[in-house]
Parts: sequence; structure tokens; C-alpha cells
Amino acid sequence: MTSMNKAGTHGEIIQDTVPEEGAKDAPIVELRNAGKSYGNIRALHGVDLQVFPGQVTCVLGDNGAGKSTLIKIISGLHQHTEGEFLVDGVPVRFSTPREALDKGIATVYQDLATVPLMPVWRNFFLGSEMTKGPWPVRRLDIDRMKKTADHELREMGIILDDLEQPIGTLSGGQRQCVAIARAVYFGARVLILDEPTAALGVKQSGVVLKYVAAARERGLGVIFITHNPHHAYMVGDHFSVLRLGTMELSASRAEVSLEELTNHMAGGTELAALKHELSQVRGVDVDELPEAKDLGAPVATASEGKS
Amino acid sequence: MTQHAEPAVDTPPAPGPKEADGRTSQRPLVFKLLARPEVGVFLGAAAVYVFFLIAAPPVRDGSSMATVLYQSSTIGIMALPVALLMIGGEFDLSSGVAVITSALTASMLSYQLTMNVWVGVIVALLVSLAVGAFNGWMVVKTGLPSFLVTLGTFLILQGVNLAVTKLVTTNVATDDISNMDGFGQAKKIFASSFDIGGVQVKITVFYWLVFAAIATWILLRTKYGNWIFAVGGNKDSARAVGVPVTFTKISLFMLVGFGAWFVGMHQLFTFNTVQSGEGVGQELIYIAAAVIGGCLLTGGYGSAIGPVFGAFMFGMVNQGIVFAGWNPDWFKAFLGVMLLGAVLINLWVRQSATRR
Amino acid sequence: MDRSTHHRSRRIVPVVAVAAAAALTLAGCSSSSGGKKSEEGGSGASAGKATTPRMTVALVTHQSPGDTFWDIVRKGAEAAAAKDNIKLIYSADPNAGNQANLVQNAIDQKVDGIAITLAKPDAMKDVVKKATAAKIPVVGLNSGVSDWQKLGLMEFFGQDETVAGEAFGKKLNELGAKHTVCVVQEQGNVGLTQRCNGLKETFSGKTDVLYVNGTDMPSVKSTITAKLKTDSSIDYVATLGAPFALTAAQSVTDAGSKAKVATFDLNKDLTTAISKGTIQFAVDQQPYLQGYLAIDSLWLYKNNGNYMGGGEQPVLTGPAFVDKSNVEAVAAFAAKGTR
Repeated sequence: MTSMNKAGTHGEIIQDTVPEEGAKDAPIVELRNAGKSYGNIRALHGVDLQVFPGQVTCVLGDNGAGKSTLIKIISGLHQHTEGEFLVDGVPVRFSTPREALDKGIATVYQDLATVPLMPVWRNFFLGSEMTKGPWPVRRLDIDRMKKTADHELREMGIILDDLEQPIGTLSGGQRQCVAIARAVYFGARVLILDEPTAALGVKQSGVVLKYVAAARERGLGVIFITHNPHHAYMVGDHFSVLRLGTMELSASRAEVSLEELTNHMAGGTELAALKHELSQVRGVDVDELPEAKDLGAPVATASEGKS
Repeated sequence: MTQHAEPAVDTPPAPGPKEADGRTSQRPLVFKLLARPEVGVFLGAAAVYVFFLIAAPPVRDGSSMATVLYQSSTIGIMALPVALLMIGGEFDLSSGVAVITSALTASMLSYQLTMNVWVGVIVALLVSLAVGAFNGWMVVKTGLPSFLVTLGTFLILQGVNLAVTKLVTTNVATDDISNMDGFGQAKKIFASSFDIGGVQVKITVFYWLVFAAIATWILLRTKYGNWIFAVGGNKDSARAVGVPVTFTKISLFMLVGFGAWFVGMHQLFTFNTVQSGEGVGQELIYIAAAVIGGCLLTGGYGSAIGPVFGAFMFGMVNQGIVFAGWNPDWFKAFLGVMLLGAVLINLWVRQSATRR
Repeated sequence: MDRSTHHRSRRIVPVVAVAAAAALTLAGCSSSSGGKKSEEGGSGASAGKATTPRMTVALVTHQSPGDTFWDIVRKGAEAAAAKDNIKLIYSADPNAGNQANLVQNAIDQKVDGIAITLAKPDAMKDVVKKATAAKIPVVGLNSGVSDWQKLGLMEFFGQDETVAGEAFGKKLNELGAKHTVCVVQEQGNVGLTQRCNGLKETFSGKTDVLYVNGTDMPSVKSTITAKLKTDSSIDYVATLGAPFALTAAQSVTDAGSKAKVATFDLNKDLTTAISKGTIQFAVDQQPYLQGYLAIDSLWLYKNNGNYMGGGEQPVLTGPAFVDKSNVEAVAAFAAKGTR
């Protein structure tokens, strides 16, 4: 899989592509210079992001960098206040997560992926239950739901003994996997994963990354939010680093190495500046810190980003 | 630029054969059964029943059972929507006085305007649903704990019940409406009794069981039931996967309103008049029946059958003490001890069933 | 703005239509029997008004909200206040501590007189002393017939609950009752306990006590039913409040018992039940009179220095029996909610 977009979409002329023709080349979800203010606090501004089918777009950033705000805009929990948000090339503004779901954008949250006390199969179909029968006696089609859930989970390689067990009894990784399988089943074209590996151990993280890859192989566009560059580099095709609410880096896999990615995450350009200051203080070893020139990847310079 | 390789992980895992992952062993069926929320309370209720069967000979009589069931049903009909609401993660402290509000509305409206009582009954239904909708709307829109919001409604209704009754009738009880048009008809529906094997059984017992069956079906077999569990278990997850949280919560509060209306109508057509100060404290008994019935105070877990046994247990203890002819000075203490005992049985059963 | 009003008016049309339709439907639904229209429009006793200077009197009771009995007390007090050119401040709280605070509140307002109930005399001791120190006359009513003098109250209007209970027991003896059950709607209430004890004292048959949950009528009904079923020898149910008597009558039918019902206190529906014979008799302590006399006595004291009961004896307002023989005379007043 090679990179299909140039780094730094700003200034690029984006053609108004119809989704049907050349679906591979057109982004499903695109943010153009988008931003969000809460009152007079600007949580996010000047963000450009493109999500292509069959690609994993990683969004990295430290705490408070604006990652959650970004997801909330795309998933329909919040609305953007500046710039544009396009799905299949058409500007949209979601007011509920339901609308985003209807457009094929599914979000798997780190902490609220599931309802712990409900059985696995009920969780799998929550909000999109299968029913049978005419209205007054319309009821859940439990057999079909259980069968489907079991089948879909197996497709993703998740094997559970008992679909009746409360999902809270599963491990964190397993729960994330069920949520991913669920999103894939419900025809998600874009899957947003909010720090799926943050609370997990090494082995469990591996399991989740496996399913991220599996989702990509199925042709989904994946937005993988994380602050772990190693996890991102394992599966990512494109990397965007957020910093203080703006885009600091936007690069394809071919343009950035793990080291550079790590440096950007660790503080990047600010650290380089800090190094200069620290070098004048005795006793601080600055040799190991990266120089500004090491940060070779193209740096996204959003129009108002560096004020 | 050290790593330009393809992403490290790219193969989707192959579907495996059906096998256990070794983490959970199959629990015996009996334990699975015991883990259901209503089983503990069923055993508790059965224990109380057997106890009084031995301790109080009059209980063995069919008509005595009808009395016990009657009291259980007036608690149980309200305990059902209260339980559903609790599963949905909310409380309603105004449910006790809401019953009286409904009865007062129907009674005063019919009497003062000299209308067919059915007019009052319908308007009372609308008022009850509106009170429920208000509670739900306030809880959802403000995000305040329902405990606070409904405590406010509780106090408001308590005051309004009294003040409006006083204003309209100049007394603190409503006037007798038993000689008005439609009363007989309404009494047949809300407050009659029927004969089963020579025993007069109140119609509320029948409604109680029917409502419980419907509630169980809704809870376990419909989308709406799924949503109730979801909004109580994890509201934010539910919202994120597209469950209409606002609708579910508000409609649950309105369901409590419906229950209050029904019980209110029963009281009105049984006693012909309504005392405006009644109903205070009943909300805790409804909540207690739901909790004894295995509903979690924190929401997301419970059943509709459990509160049926919870209400029965309450009615049984209440009447059983009278049937047994124990010293009435100790009445409340007996009641408390028996309820606590029943809850402990319930707890013990659930713990031993879910222990791995 | 033009457009919005236009919009609104268009929206109003269906609303009006629905309202009109509803009104028409309601008109068709009017009841041909009972209801407000059949009620006689009797005007209340409107006596002349005193020309004495305006004074303020506080009435502080231990009423719990929505109690018919206290409502009648209050009506009596209001009638006296209206006649005597008195501004009446009514307040009530069933919790003794809160009631004491309400009395303190009245003292702070520098009222010209205070009437209080002594449901829990010890709790009121201090605050009565304060009122006396502030030279505010204090009278008692309803509860506390054995304590009012100890506390230094000027006068007392009420019924000795024990005496009332004893009278009740004697009446049952006359009627040939053998086994009665005394239904207490509030466990631990002193006055109610005294009534039952007095009844027990004079009644020659067997007396059982039954506690019921007074705020839940269906529960009261089924508990009395259960009691009657347990013991078929019960031939009289004695309730301690009018609404409970009406419920007890239903329980008797439900239980298929032969027991008769009699009660303390009176209300409108009860007079109807007595004349129909569903309830045998009621012992009335004339709450209207208690409220009326308490306020009137403060007026008399202020304007003429009079003491009712001579300042030594309580003024007893009961027990007055109401049964089929005299119910007609009482019914009209009870219908107005004043007796």
C-alpha cells in the first residue's frame, strides 16, 4: 500500500470528485482548515485531514492537543465552528452521532465502547437491533442476532464461549475488538478509534492492532487516535500530529520515519528550541536531543497555526 | 528514514473453530439460573410465604391470600415503572404524591365542572404524563441527578395537592363523586373485584400481573427494552452507538406517570374521595420493592418480574404480621427485620451464583 | 415581524379548532347527577365585625399537611379572627422542634397572642416561657389537657383524649359490643394512644390494637381486612380518624365480617355514612370550636380581661356523640367543612 496523497493538503487544489468514480482516490472524510471554539477558547483550528478507504490515518498528539475535539466533530458529538467538514465531497454538519453513523462513520471510544452489564450480543446490536413481526408485537430477533454476532466476531477472529456473558467480564482488549467488529458489521466506511490501546497491556494492544489491520483489509478508512507513535507506526499509512489545537505534521508513511514521528510527538520543534536554551545551562546533556534539521518531514503550516 | 516497510500487522486473523478461550469455564445451569436478578427475591418471597403459612393459620385461607395480593398489587403496579426507570438509571421520588395528584385532578375536575367522571379520568392521565415528561425533560436537559429534580417535584406536588384542593373545595379532601355519571363504569374498570373459586379477588391483582408480563416482554424482547438497559448501564456509550437516550429517559418518566395515574384512579374509584395529604413516603416503598426485586440502585441491571416478588414480599409481611396476631407495637420492627432478612437472602443467592 | 405574526395566527387556527371541539365534547360529557351543581350554595355564617383595635394572633399547631381535622380547626380560628378584627397567622409543623421554632417566630413578630397545641409539651416548655417573658398571652388547644397549667398557659380548649376514649368505651358497652379493634393510623402519636387506652379502660369486652399506614389508603384497607379475617369474633371496629372509618366500612364488606364501625372525629362524608347506617356513631371533639374559642379567648382577654374556664379548668369541647338520632342537625355544617 503506497501513499496516495501528498503531505500537507493546504494549498492543494482539491477536485470535486463524485464518490462513485475512482472511489479509492477520493477521501471519504475530509476536514479543510476546520476548527472548534468553546466560547472564547479555541480547542482546534486550521486542521486539514483526509481519510481514504483502505487506509489507516493516524492522529497523534499529547494530552490536550485537540484529539478528542477532532473526533467529536467527525463523530457528530460536536459541531465545527470554522472551516469545512466534507463527507464524500459534500459539506456536512452532524447534530447527532446517529447522523454520522448513517453516513458510515462509526466511532469506537476508549472508555465508552460498551455497556458493561449487558450481554455481548446485546452490546453488539445496541442501537441497531434486528427485529421481526408487525408493530404492536415487533420484537427482537434474538436467534438471528446471536448467530450474526457470533459469525461476525469469528470473522474478525474473536472467539467467545458465551455471548450471554456481560461484556464487562471481557478484558479491555476483547471489548475494543467487539466494538470494532460491531462497527465493521454495521457498514462503517470510516472507523474512528479513540486511543484503543491506551489502557491496554502490550499483548492486548497487539490484538487490537491486529483488528485495526483487519478492518483496513476490508477496505475501511480508519482514523486511529493514539499518543503512542510505535503503535501508530505499526499500522498507519498516514500520520498527522496535533499540537495545541493545530496540525504540526501531516505526512505519509513514505515521508516520515518512526524516529521523526517519535520526536514530533515528544515535543518536536519546541524541544529543539529548548535544546538551544538548555545548552547554555551547565550540567544539562543536550547531545541526545534532536536538532531542528533532524525533523526532516514536511511540517504542516496552517495559515493561522503559528501565531 | 529508517522504516519504510509496509505496516507490520496486516493479516486479518483467520476464523477459528468453535472452542473455549480457556478463560471461562461453563458454569452449571443452576448457577446461571440463580444469577438472574429475580431469582433471589423469588426465594426470599417464597421463604416469607412459607414462614407465614406456618406462623399464621389464617393465611392458608384463599380469601386471606386475596387480601395480601391486593395490597401487593397496589404497591406492585407502581413498582413496575419505578423499576424500569431505575434500570434506566434514574429515580422518581415524586411517584408517591403523583398518585394523589392524579386522583385529585380527576376528582375535582369532574366534581367542580359537573362533568362525566371520564373527563376527569382522561385529564388526570394527561396531567400525570405531563408531570412525568417534566421530570424527564428536566433530568435530561439539566443533567442534574434525578434524585434532586424529583425531590423538587415531590415537594411541589405535595404543596400543589394541598393548596389547590383547599382552593377549589375549601376542604383538604375532595368531594364524594360516587353518584356522578360514569362512576359505576369507571369503578368496574379500576376498582372492581371478580370471583375465582369462591374468592373475591380485586381487579388490581389482575392488572398487576398483566402489566408485569408486558413489562417483562418489553424489557427482554424489544428494542426499547434494550435501550432501557443501555441508558442505565452506560448513558454515553448508548448515545454514541445511536440509542435515543433523551427519548428513552423521558418516556420512562412518563411511564411512571402512567402508573401513578392508574393507581390514582384505583384509589379514587375505591374510596370515592381523596385526602390531599396522602401518598407521602410511598415512593420509598415503590423503590424498595424494586430494589428488593433485584434492580440495581445504580441502574443498568434488573428485571420486571423481580419487583413483582418484591411487592408481594412487602404485602405478605405487612399483612402476615396482622394475620399472625403478633403484638402490634412491634409491627414496624418486624417489618424491618423481615425485609432486611429477605434482602440478605437475595444478596447471598446472587453472590454465590456469580462467584467464579 | 409581520411574517411571524402571520405564522402564529395560522398556527392558532387549528389550536382554536381543537379547543372548540374539546369544549363541545366536554359539554356533552357533563354529569347529570352529583357534582358541584347539585351542591346547595349555602353561605357561611357571616356575623358582624368587632370594632376593637386591630390585633395579631398566631396559631401554631402540630398539623401534618392535608389533614381534614386541622383544616376545620383552622376554619374555626379564621371565623373568630374575622369577627374580632384579628389578623391570624397560621403555621404548623408535625415535628415538635420545628413547631417550637414557629412559636419563636411568632414571638419575634411581637404578636398580641399565641395559641398553641401541646402534642409534645416538653418541647414547648422553653418557648412558652419566652412568650410569657415577652408578655404575650398564650393559650392551648387540642392536645395537652394535662400539661397546660404546668407550662403556665392561660386557658385550654380541647378534649381530654382519655376521657373521650372512656366515653367511647362506655358507648360500646351500651351497644352490647363484645370485641373491638382500635385502628391507630400513626404509631407513637400520644393523643391516639390515649384514645385507645381510654377505650380499653371502660370497655368491658376485649380490645385489640391495630396499627396501619395512614398515608396509604389501600394499605389501610387491606390491613383492616386482614385483621377482620383473622378473628371473626370482632364485632366493632373503632377508628381514630374520619377517613379511616369510611375505609374500615369497606374492609368490613370485603372481609365478609359482621363487625360495625364507629369512629373518633367527623367529616362530611362521615355524616352521610352515619345517616345511611354504614357507620354507627362518631365521637366529635368539635375542632371548629377549639380553633374558634382559642382565638376568641385571646380577644376577650385583651379587650375585657376575661378568662375562659376561669383560668383554672380546661374548656372541654368534647366528647360529643353524633349518631343516627342527631346526625341530620350536624350534616349541614359538616357539608361546609366546619363541623
